[in-house]
Amino acid sequence: MALYEGIALIQEKQAVVLDLGHDYTKFGFTGEAAPRCIIPSSFWSPDEKCYKKVYDYKDEDELYENLVHMLHLLYFRHVLVNPKERKVVVVESLLTPTLFRETLAKVLFMHYEVSGVMWADSARLCALTLGTNITLVVNIGALEAEVVAVVHGSPVIHAIQSGPLGARAVSTELARLLDEQYGAPLQLSEHVLEDIRVRACFVPGRARALTLDDPSTVGARGVSVTGPDRVLTVGGKARERAAETLFLRNNELASLPDLVLKCILQCPIDVRRELAANILVTGGGAALTGLKARLAAELRHLVTLTPYSESLHGLQFSFHSAPSPDSTVSWMGGALAGAADSGSRALLKDVYSRSRRLRDWPCLLHTTPPDHHHWAELQC
Amino acid sequence: MAYLTQPDYVKYICSCGQLKPITNLYFCRHCLKIRCGFCICHEVDSHYCANCLENMPSSEARLKKNRCSSCFACPSCFHTLSTRATLARDPAGGDGKPPKKMYYLSCFNCRWTSRDVGIPDQPVASGGWPERTNPFTSRFNQLLEYYKAIAQQEKQEKLDKERKKFVTRGKYINLTDKTGLTGAMARNIAGLPSSESSSTVISNFVPSQASADVEELPEDYHLKEIDLKQITRMSQRTSCPELQPSLASRLSPRPRALCVKRSQRCRACDHNLTKPEYNPGSVKFKIELLAFYHVPEVKIISYETIKPGGTSALLLKLSNPTAHEMTIRMLQPEDVPDTEEEHKTIEKTLEKSLSLEKDVSWNACFPRRPPPSRAGSVGLPAVSLTLAQRDDAAEYDDEPPGDNDDIILWRKSNKLALRLKLTTDPEARVGTDAYFSFAIQYSYRNTVPPSATVVQHSDHTLYTTVILDLGKVCE
Repeated sequence: MALYEGIALIQEKQAVVLDLGHDYTKFGFTGEAAPRCIIPSSFWSPDEKCYKKVYDYKDEDELYENLVHMLHLLYFRHVLVNPKERKVVVVESLLTPTLFRETLAKVLFMHYEVSGVMWADSARLCALTLGTNITLVVNIGALEAEVVAVVHGSPVIHAIQSGPLGARAVSTELARLLDEQYGAPLQLSEHVLEDIRVRACFVPGRARALTLDDPSTVGARGVSVTGPDRVLTVGGKARERAAETLFLRNNELASLPDLVLKCILQCPIDVRRELAANILVTGGGAALTGLKARLAAELRHLVTLTPYSESLHGLQFSFHSAPSPDSTVSWMGGALAGAADSGSRALLKDVYSRSRRLRDWPCLLHTTPPDHHHWAELQC
Repeated sequence: MAYLTQPDYVKYICSCGQLKPITNLYFCRHCLKIRCGFCICHEVDSHYCANCLENMPSSEARLKKNRCSSCFACPSCFHTLSTRATLARDPAGGDGKPPKKMYYLSCFNCRWTSRDVGIPDQPVASGGWPERTNPFTSRFNQLLEYYKAIAQQEKQEKLDKERKKFVTRGKYINLTDKTGLTGAMARNIAGLPSSESSSTVISNFVPSQASADVEELPEDYHLKEIDLKQITRMSQRTSCPELQPSLASRLSPRPRALCVKRSQRCRACDHNLTKPEYNPGSVKFKIELLAFYHVPEVKIISYETIKPGGTSALLLKLSNPTAHEMTIRMLQPEDVPDTEEEHKTIEKTLEKSLSLEKDVSWNACFPRRPPPSRAGSVGLPAVSLTLAQRDDAAEYDDEPPGDNDDIILWRKSNKLALRLKLTTDPEARVGTDAYFSFAIQYSYRNTVPPSATVVQHSDHTLYTTVILDLGKVCE
């Protein structure tokens, strides 16, 4: 061990992996199998005398301050290392707003003086934890569900599907069902709703879901949940129907199984079969009891209907299970990617200080290949 | 005490633009500027356990993943667990052996015990508790090895490509031909991982296998009675990131997380602002450059209600916390001279041009909030006031407060009470916050021993701007 210690002094410090989710933040070191901490993405704000969420911001300045406070909490309360001269792997969604990314870069480079940041999209990192070449990643987060096809290490950008079908959607539906059950608005806090959702709710199988509206169906058993100020009786209806909102089909074909099938449909024809055979359902929202089984059943049923039956024939759906609890899969991918290439893909501090911009896929400057004729035209 | 329990009525403007009460500010004696928690650099100083107050060297803390080796936290309510002893009787019984002392962990807050989850009692009080290992570690290590091998191969290929550009295999014998030393052997001698081993890692790697069937819920799941006490809450799951157990029977005691003592450093000059003592039980500091000890303190005694267009009296108390006499003048905030460019010497600019990194002025991109708009102006006396040095013994003197005129209400050792006149804008809207601000010019004697290279003046004239929160504008 003494030798390793010596090496650690010469070598670069172990990088940290930051997955700043909407509800929960995962933070830890690269090369470790699990994050050091999973904490709510909020911090105590002494000015406003309340817990403030990182994502509650009106403008860039407020976001900057939120991020400074949040990272301070993570570095000095939980992981206990100096942020200075240490690399960071940031796990982000491909659809992260530019303002958020750039402000985060500013906070990391300017305020915390980290030596480099590796920006990695969560879909690719999720695929890394499997080691498969072609993967369809269904990431159900707090707010959004995102379906991204990762083919040989690159996400198929034009086929990305996303919808507001995260854990928050289930909570909202749960609140509505509970209000209906009690006949009065209960004004339950997000925290209580989350507790009920996590412990009491489940997703019924497809066979049962079809008979839910049938008056002869025996309802699910209710439970009583002890809240902070009273005991709530959560009826069977609320328990089993809260997550139905994810599978509700409408004219826009925006249910969760529809998103998956639309993504497969928009991918190149020669990877569709492989994608269907390599589905990974991850994210904190996917941990809901029975959700994965229901999604599988819905996919197998929906693919036989229009508009999918015309183009997608004989798809066999198979599912992977990642070597990590659902909520930390993309974090784990970040820990793998950061440790494997030891930070050679990171954006270094001196590069950033020369030109303050981040590579991003919607920007033509970064996605135009260097031999494209547009560059020549720009020169003259 | 007032600073802890009451809202902050008096705020100072930090050199970075933040508004903070004086108790939250630092004062850098080397730059002679006020700094706050936002614009200084925090550093981890020492690790300790907040429960047993035991220090842990940082290398050991790294090995133990920042967890204390003797204290445990309750997995159910996160309170500290206590070790309890019982006398265990031999179940075979009656062979004359004295009963052995056995230990288990128990939470005095929520009554959780290590027996609840089937952890056997231990014969020794400290340690020996079984640790739950992460079931995914081996797979994670396989994956890590695989990706490291790929990264290695990638690097090698890049090197080979570059080498091929220059070396043209021709008529000359090269070293490996002459000595019979093959590339693999050379790599072996040099201690590099041989290229074959990385390729075996790659070829031996088995990607994850997808399965067609997903575990379905049992048919009668909806009819089963569920006991919510047996299902963990979200906070209980996230407190154990490796396993995230969903059943209460899978909870296990977790070693308590360590805490750190932090030291603070000024970003501009890299000098320490605070440095704590190493002993975890001590709350003292080795270095403690707080604004509270260097900057004149302003407190509000009382004020008349603020009315639009009216004038009201304001009683303020100023005190000098330093051990030197202080001369104070009050100014309007606009009259503070811009001190940014004043101290630029040749050495400083040279230093700046040499260390390019420091030149990245992070301050430039930092959001400077404009101070809140003022509700009016403070009528300030044009005279300089002198404050005596702080003298702890003077507290006990029964000196009558003397020296009062129309501005100075009373004067006692290092304190001074002032009577000022506030003029509120006629346009100030009723119900809005009444903010008033003024600047203080004060003399400051620097007691840092002058170093050999930098000649420092010991007497300085410094400025600070204060913002007073005087409630709301009334009718």
